[in-house]
Amino acid sequence: MMARVAREMVEKSGINVDQLVELLVKNAAAELTTYYYYTILRCNLIGLEGEGIKEIAEAARVEDRNHFEALVPRIYELGGKLPDDMKAFHDASACPPARLPKDLTDTQAMLKVLVEAERCAVRGYTHICNLTTGKDHRTYDLSQSILNEEIEHESWFSEFLGEGPSGHFMRKGENSPFVSKFLR
Amino acid sequence: MREFRKEELALYNGKNGAPAYAAYKGKVYDVSGSFLWKNGDHQVLHNAGVDLTDVMEQAPHGGDVLDKFPVVGTLLCADRKES
Repeated sequence: MMARVAREMVEKSGINVDQLVELLVKNAAAELTTYYYYTILRCNLIGLEGEGIKEIAEAARVEDRNHFEALVPRIYELGGKLPDDMKAFHDASACPPARLPKDLTDTQAMLKVLVEAERCAVRGYTHICNLTTGKDHRTYDLSQSILNEEIEHESWFSEFLGEGPSGHFMRKGENSPFVSKFLR
Repeated sequence: MREFRKEELALYNGKNGAPAYAAYKGKVYDVSGSFLWKNGDHQVLHNAGVDLTDVMEQAPHGGDVLDKFPVVGTLLCADRKES
C-alpha cells in the first residue's frame, strides 16, 4: 500500500479504518449518482420558474462531481477502492437516488428532491467529521470542506422553497471554493 | 399490535431475505423498504434487528426520520433502552 503510514496513523488514533473507507465509498457513490440525477433535474428545470433555479442546480451538480473527485484519492490512500461494478456502486450510495418527481412541471417538487439530497449529504459529512475530528486530520479536512459546500447547497434550495432567507449569494467566480484545494 | 422480545427482534435483521426491523423508543419500525437500510445495514455502522434508541443520540438526524416507516409492533418494556 502506497500510503501505509498514513493508514497506520489513522488506525492508531482508534478509528476503524475499514469502516471509515466504506463510509467514504458510500459518500463518493452519493456524489457521483447525485451528479447524474442532478443532470436530469437541471435539464428539466425549464420555464419561468425552472429557469431561475437552473443556475444553482448546475453549481450544485458540478460541485457534487468535484466532491466525488476529491474523495477518491483518500479512499485509495486509506487502502480502499471503488467497486468494480458501477451498479453496485450506485446501490451502495449513502443517499437515496435524487429522482425526478412525477410531475415535471412541479418546480416545488423538484426543489424538494434537491434539498433532500443536500440534507442527506450534510448529515453524512457531519457524521464523518464527528468520527474523524482530532484523529484523521486529512479525512476531516476533506469532509469539512465538502460539508461547507453541501451546507451552502442546502441553503440555496431551501430559500427557493420559501423556508426563509439563506444568507448566501450564488457562487461568484469558480466552483468549489472549499474543495478546490483537493483537486489541484 | 405484536410485542417483540429483544431476541425476536434480532431475527429481523434484513439478512437472507428477512425483513429489516428497528426499534426506537418502544416502537418497532419496518425499514425494509428504505434505500438506506439495504441488507439491514445503515451507513456502515448500524444494523437492523436492534433497539436504536441509544445510538440515535449520536446520529446526525432525529428519531423523526422513522415516522415514514410502518410500525409493526412494540418492544417489550424489559428489553427497551430508554433514552
